[in-house]
Amino acid sequence: MKKTPERIESLAAEYVLGSLKGQARSRFERWMMESGRVRQEVWYWEEKLGQLSDQVPAREPPASVWQAIEHQLWPQKPAVPSTGGRGLWPAWSLMATAAALVLAVILVQQPDPQALPEPGSRLSGAIVQADVSDPLWLVSESGGQRHLRMRSVAASSAQTGKDYELWVVPAEGNPLSLGVVLVGDVLQVKLTDEARTMLHESRTLAISLEPEGGSPTGAPTGPVLHVTRLHEL
Amino acid sequence: MTITTRDPDREELMRLLLAIARSDRRAFQQLYQKISARMFGLCMKLAGQREVAEEALQDAFVQIWHHASEYHSDRGSPLSWMLTIARYRTLDLMRSRAVRRTGGEEHLEHLEDQRSGPLDESLRNAGAKQLTGCLDELSDVQRDSILLSYYRGLTHDELAMALSSPIGTVKSWIRRGLMALKRCLER
Repeated sequence: MKKTPERIESLAAEYVLGSLKGQARSRFERWMMESGRVRQEVWYWEEKLGQLSDQVPAREPPASVWQAIEHQLWPQKPAVPSTGGRGLWPAWSLMATAAALVLAVILVQQPDPQALPEPGSRLSGAIVQADVSDPLWLVSESGGQRHLRMRSVAASSAQTGKDYELWVVPAEGNPLSLGVVLVGDVLQVKLTDEARTMLHESRTLAISLEPEGGSPTGAPTGPVLHVTRLHEL
Repeated sequence: MTITTRDPDREELMRLLLAIARSDRRAFQQLYQKISARMFGLCMKLAGQREVAEEALQDAFVQIWHHASEYHSDRGSPLSWMLTIARYRTLDLMRSRAVRRTGGEEHLEHLEDQRSGPLDESLRNAGAKQLTGCLDELSDVQRDSILLSYYRGLTHDELAMALSSPIGTVKSWIRRGLMALKRCLER
């Protein structure tokens, strides 16, 4: 069907009114994508007919709706740091919403997170999932903070062809990979100075689901399954 | 050209949308507190079913969170843009669930029985005041079919039933009514 001005005019009005439906509606939506002129016409009617909604009496929705919105957008309430664009965080927190509701806590036995660890002090903690009674992984620093030791407890293997990958998430900038995490194994991750400093500053680890062998790009590509904000004891 | 009613909250809504575009969750909550009752009223009027209206409200706010940065002033006031999102979502849900088929018949008969016609008198009057009186220039059936589509989301079939007229007739009432409305608004 050709986009004559008359057709655009009349279909746009019916689109906004809602009386255009089914295939005709989808076809018209394609017109909208293709043509600024069509969009202008739609916006015209949205604004004009929109005035009719001024007269509909307001009704207070039940509180459950807001809770459902929050739950849909941010399933892991406590794990997300303050809002506002800080590096990759907004995107990461959105990606994490795709994952099952996971509460993860890492206990930090470290009085000053800014300073590099004193000899003898170390980070330790657990990654836990709300509906699993045992922790998925236990995490601790070992070997004079040169290593992060991850022992899988209740974690189940990633699906075939996939691997879990562990990341340090800095306050700003890109996450730094600590490598692939195998289940049923004790993983010793060697911490570079960069990784160690980053970890003590941000106190945040994440686990994402990646293609076998880990992310091909050096940045997380799959869903972020666990985001863990470190807490000081 | 007439200037549309200036929404006193327009600036405030604009400010909130900008903040939401920067992922400001507090602004998002403020926006919800400000407009959710109006939006829910519209969804309820349209769907006539609580469950559908609640789901549409939820979906609309999730969309607003993700698409706040796409708002621009060509799309009307911020409020009308957001209400439009909710209205389309409600229509989608109604149609995908065939809302009218479950218990809808009774609803339509009830509409038909009313002496004043199938539309609330309050809404008909209100509609007339908006759109700078242009609705008054339409014939009764043109105006009623447009308002029934807008407020109740009736499809052509449902309108034909509600107004006891052939579907082709109803379609042309709507089409001609809308075009007459536009000519009037452009004067």
